[in-house]
Amino acid sequence: MSHNLVGRSHDAGAFSGHSRRQFLFQTTAGFFGAALGSLWAQDGRIAGARITPELPPRAKSVIFLFMCGGVSHIDTFDPKDNKWAGKLIDAIGFGDNLAEMKRPVIPCRRTFTRYGESGIPVSDWFPNLGGVVDELAIVRSMWCHETNHFPAVTEMATGHRDRVVEHASLGSWVNYALGSENQNLPAFVNLGRPSSPIQLSGGYLGAAFAATPFQPGPVPIPDLQPPPGTSSVDRERRLRTLAELNRGFREQHEIHSAIAARTRAYELAARMQLSAPEAVDFGTEPEAVKRLYGIGAKETDEFGKRLLLARRLVERGVRFIQVCHAGNGGNGGWDSHDDMEGHAPLCRQTDLPIAGLIRDLKQRGLLEDTLVVWTSEFGRTPWSQNTTGRDHNPKGFTSWLAGAGVRGGTILGATDDVGYRAVESPVYINDLQATIVNRLGLDHRKLEVAINGRPVRLIEEGSKPVQAILD
Amino acid sequence: MDQRCPPRPHCSARRSAISWVRIVLPWLAFSLALVESAAAAREIPRVADLWSLQPVVRSPIPAGFTDSTNAVDAFIAEACHKRGLSALPAADPLVWLRRVSLDLTGLPPTPAEQDQFLRDTSATGREQVVERLLASEQYGVRYGRHWLDVLRYADVDNDMPAGPGIHLWRDWIITALNHDLPYDAFVRAQISGNRAARRRIISPEGHLSTVGPRPEDLFALGFLARGAVSRENADHQLAFSAVETLSTAFLGMTIGCARCHDHFFDPLKQADFYSLKAVFDPLVLRPVELATSAERFAQGRAVEEHDARVQEVVTAMREYIAPYHTRLYEERLSALPADAQAAIRKPAAQRTAAEQKVADDYHPILRIDPSKIKAVMPPERIPRYDEFLKQIGALKAPPPLPVFWTVADDPKRAAEKSYVLTTGDPARPKLSQEVTPGFPFITSQPEFRDGRRETLGDWLTSPTNSLFARVVVNRIWQWHFGTGLHPSANDFGALGGKPSHPRLLDWLAAEFVAQKYSMKWLHRLIVTSETYRRASASHREQDAANHRIDPDNTYLWRFPLNRLDAESLRDSLLQIAGALDLTAGGKSIEASTNTLVPQRRTAYVRRGYQASREVMSPYLQTFDVEDGRTVCPRRTQTVTAPQALFLMNSQLVDNVAGQLAERWRQTGTNDLAARMTLAFRTVLGRPPSESEQATARAYLQDETGTEKNLAWLILNLDEFLYVP
Repeated sequence: MSHNLVGRSHDAGAFSGHSRRQFLFQTTAGFFGAALGSLWAQDGRIAGARITPELPPRAKSVIFLFMCGGVSHIDTFDPKDNKWAGKLIDAIGFGDNLAEMKRPVIPCRRTFTRYGESGIPVSDWFPNLGGVVDELAIVRSMWCHETNHFPAVTEMATGHRDRVVEHASLGSWVNYALGSENQNLPAFVNLGRPSSPIQLSGGYLGAAFAATPFQPGPVPIPDLQPPPGTSSVDRERRLRTLAELNRGFREQHEIHSAIAARTRAYELAARMQLSAPEAVDFGTEPEAVKRLYGIGAKETDEFGKRLLLARRLVERGVRFIQVCHAGNGGNGGWDSHDDMEGHAPLCRQTDLPIAGLIRDLKQRGLLEDTLVVWTSEFGRTPWSQNTTGRDHNPKGFTSWLAGAGVRGGTILGATDDVGYRAVESPVYINDLQATIVNRLGLDHRKLEVAINGRPVRLIEEGSKPVQAILD
Repeated sequence: MDQRCPPRPHCSARRSAISWVRIVLPWLAFSLALVESAAAAREIPRVADLWSLQPVVRSPIPAGFTDSTNAVDAFIAEACHKRGLSALPAADPLVWLRRVSLDLTGLPPTPAEQDQFLRDTSATGREQVVERLLASEQYGVRYGRHWLDVLRYADVDNDMPAGPGIHLWRDWIITALNHDLPYDAFVRAQISGNRAARRRIISPEGHLSTVGPRPEDLFALGFLARGAVSRENADHQLAFSAVETLSTAFLGMTIGCARCHDHFFDPLKQADFYSLKAVFDPLVLRPVELATSAERFAQGRAVEEHDARVQEVVTAMREYIAPYHTRLYEERLSALPADAQAAIRKPAAQRTAAEQKVADDYHPILRIDPSKIKAVMPPERIPRYDEFLKQIGALKAPPPLPVFWTVADDPKRAAEKSYVLTTGDPARPKLSQEVTPGFPFITSQPEFRDGRRETLGDWLTSPTNSLFARVVVNRIWQWHFGTGLHPSANDFGALGGKPSHPRLLDWLAAEFVAQKYSMKWLHRLIVTSETYRRASASHREQDAANHRIDPDNTYLWRFPLNRLDAESLRDSLLQIAGALDLTAGGKSIEASTNTLVPQRRTAYVRRGYQASREVMSPYLQTFDVEDGRTVCPRRTQTVTAPQALFLMNSQLVDNVAGQLAERWRQTGTNDLAARMTLAFRTVLGRPPSESEQATARAYLQDETGTEKNLAWLILNLDEFLYVP
């Protein structure tokens, strides 16, 4: 436990009871005991989850880029000719739609350019991403079930659609299975406002495995710094005195694990006070690197800072960094029903910074063992609701992956002629999640815990890593 | 939600099929995978075998193991003796005072209360403290919060229709506990809306009278109304939720498993689940307006005036945009298939049902938003249009009248048959498996003379129901000691383990019934026991034998250390600052860090869940508060760095430290020892030791050693967060 954000109290009787979090403690030996010894990471909670424990995993960290609201694959990475444009097509079977319904296909107004050695076409909204396309494995045949934002975000974040229990997000599973590599920072960090709190949730794994949201600015974590006017001398002296005043009580209650864990929590909090501001301080970053991320330019500054911070967290051993874009606590900024031009500023905000991130990781040799994933909760339909925008489309959309032994410059799968359904090599979001944990060296079938005697998994039976895009 | 979601289907049955399959199928998938292994690995016990379904046996109180006359001590002493454990002596009286005050009211004892306790050297000093605490309104706030965790209280849960007014259910629970409403009546009222056990009385003169519900018991039905989390399918959600919550909360059985299949581990058939659900099948959700007649008159006028003002602007605006609107509408309409156009062009009143459906289907296409109007409007006309839109937006409708959502039996639904549902899907009844209302674990089904829920209440609360009293005395025990006599408060089934003190559990259950289900009686018995008085501090070497024999303290040879929960921590801080408002009841509030004005108790801070936004404050989440979506028998007690950061650096703790230092100054004494004593007693409920005084003195001698910093130090002590 010594390297984790969290300890738990034995004494609270936490080893029994059936709250959704407490089941953790019912496994016989408990993870305080024998289970820990066999793990490669000191704090991993699932024994035997590593695929090949003797080899290092392909990815040490994941940067999970989540575009809130549903990016149109048709206007970005999955070009279609406009032969259907203007025609009313049958939208029966779309989502929950059981009514007979015709919808007008709208033309795609983008031009696509083939980039790199691979010659993969990318839309004029992503010219910079075009420049790094040889690093990307583009999956054009993603699909999920849910048609509306929050259910789809839940499905993407947790791999599950039901809410009978509160499922845990992908990042918290990674945190749970692998623990933290950094003694001073949390293992699962979120940057940028998400669509839904479920994307940060530890669910039945517990709040201790949830994302720690880093806020922009010099104080990334609430209450990280003492109130103004506290000097470091003052702070150190106070902590010393605190230890002295606590000594008697700690001796008397040494058998309570919560007390030992609390000592460590204060130590970690104190270390975080020093290391978190250092992680978010870009003072040592050369101007050229900042420019690479678009920092300083009006449209790209905010997202560029988020991505530079993501890289710095990778360097500091944070395992799962979720970066949300255009989350507004509602449907998400990418939800362009009215007019596809709504995508244009969002593409401008993200294109250069993401390309900069890939280049920066590459030039530092970090791309080798950092997996970058770009996705949305779903794509957009070929048709509109009689506007110049597009509707939600869970039946076919695009995600891409890069780094950590992912085959760059590849395209996997295809949607149909209009870009509605994934028809070739369909990849369900559980498959995408299996691919991510595979790069982290985890066997997706082992990511399982029991609640009330029932096993619950991140990835259900039948899904597996997308080997076709992996080395 | 999204204004532009794909259109909703018009066939509600199909719709419900989809959503239910979504919810249930994933569970079914792995449940089926379990069937083989489960069946192979274990025999499902029969009703006759499961310990918790055996009748409660009241054993004689063991004699000769303790001098205490408290039955709790006798059973505990016997168990310790049998295992060779030597119980620790009593804790310091002030430690006990702090323990029992926080336990019963969630608030630390004030220095005045400490003085009063220490002055009273009579034999009944502790009893008087317990009586004072149990009589305090704050007892209900504290134990009400425990019950609300178990009964799944939430202010918000997705689109829970019962959200407005749900706090009245919370207030009903708090009031019921404060009046020591017998537990059987407490449960009956929440299931049927009527607390009375005898609903028909024949007088000696031969007159028959019925005992109707007390007016406030309407609010007890918030328990059932809370079960629906969206308007769609609300009635089915109510029934499912009722079965799952009440079986877990009141019976300690995870009957939910039997929703999709026979229970793998406990003697519960799928048909049992649906028989129990049939009790609730006639229920529908109903709003009850709580306004006075005067408020209703006033509301009528206010709404009328508001509508008139809106209409005035809308009419003018429609006229203003008419040419553009008509043009766009015609363009769109003419793009539609001819038959659709014909249907839509007919006046609504003349359309056939099929034509109306077509019109509804194309409605989203024909909706024209302001942005589209502006796109075709001459630019110079746009500002005036914007002005119209702004005017309409600024006209705020009068707030709705206060409402409470309750449930009622719908005669039409009551006349319908109930079936086992395939995978819990209301659209897929197994017509070969009709079920009638009934209860699990019993052979002869009851007659439903008095109504289904009333009869359920009678069966549930009957002294012959072996689970009813066992489950509640165990919960109450757990709230006092952190762990129940049976370790799994929500699972008295085959997987829940066995009680550590089965005879004590049964004795308490039997005596609880004999004491007319008085929860305050049980609290009194427990907190006045020697077991409850024991020290928690223990040295590994000194108590080596105890640690070897019972390292987890299952047999209570010492008192367990408990962390303050989120509510007690914030309430304690506010009380220390002199900024706690003890008003009970009312709508839920947002937590504030301002301590310059008194703040309400944390039990009243909003909680719940919504996919689109955070409902609960980060503070509540950091300190392990559940959101009410599952039956929470006991909060997890994590120890995390964010908790440490809250105590070290938060605005609230900073304010409280400042106010505490200010209170010392106001005592007017320059005597450091006296000031420190006040601080320690206010925060920790005890005076400082000599070595603590020396440490503090040394700290204050340096220039960084301000009194506010000293207050900070005391607030950050382990002993403040962990109650010994």
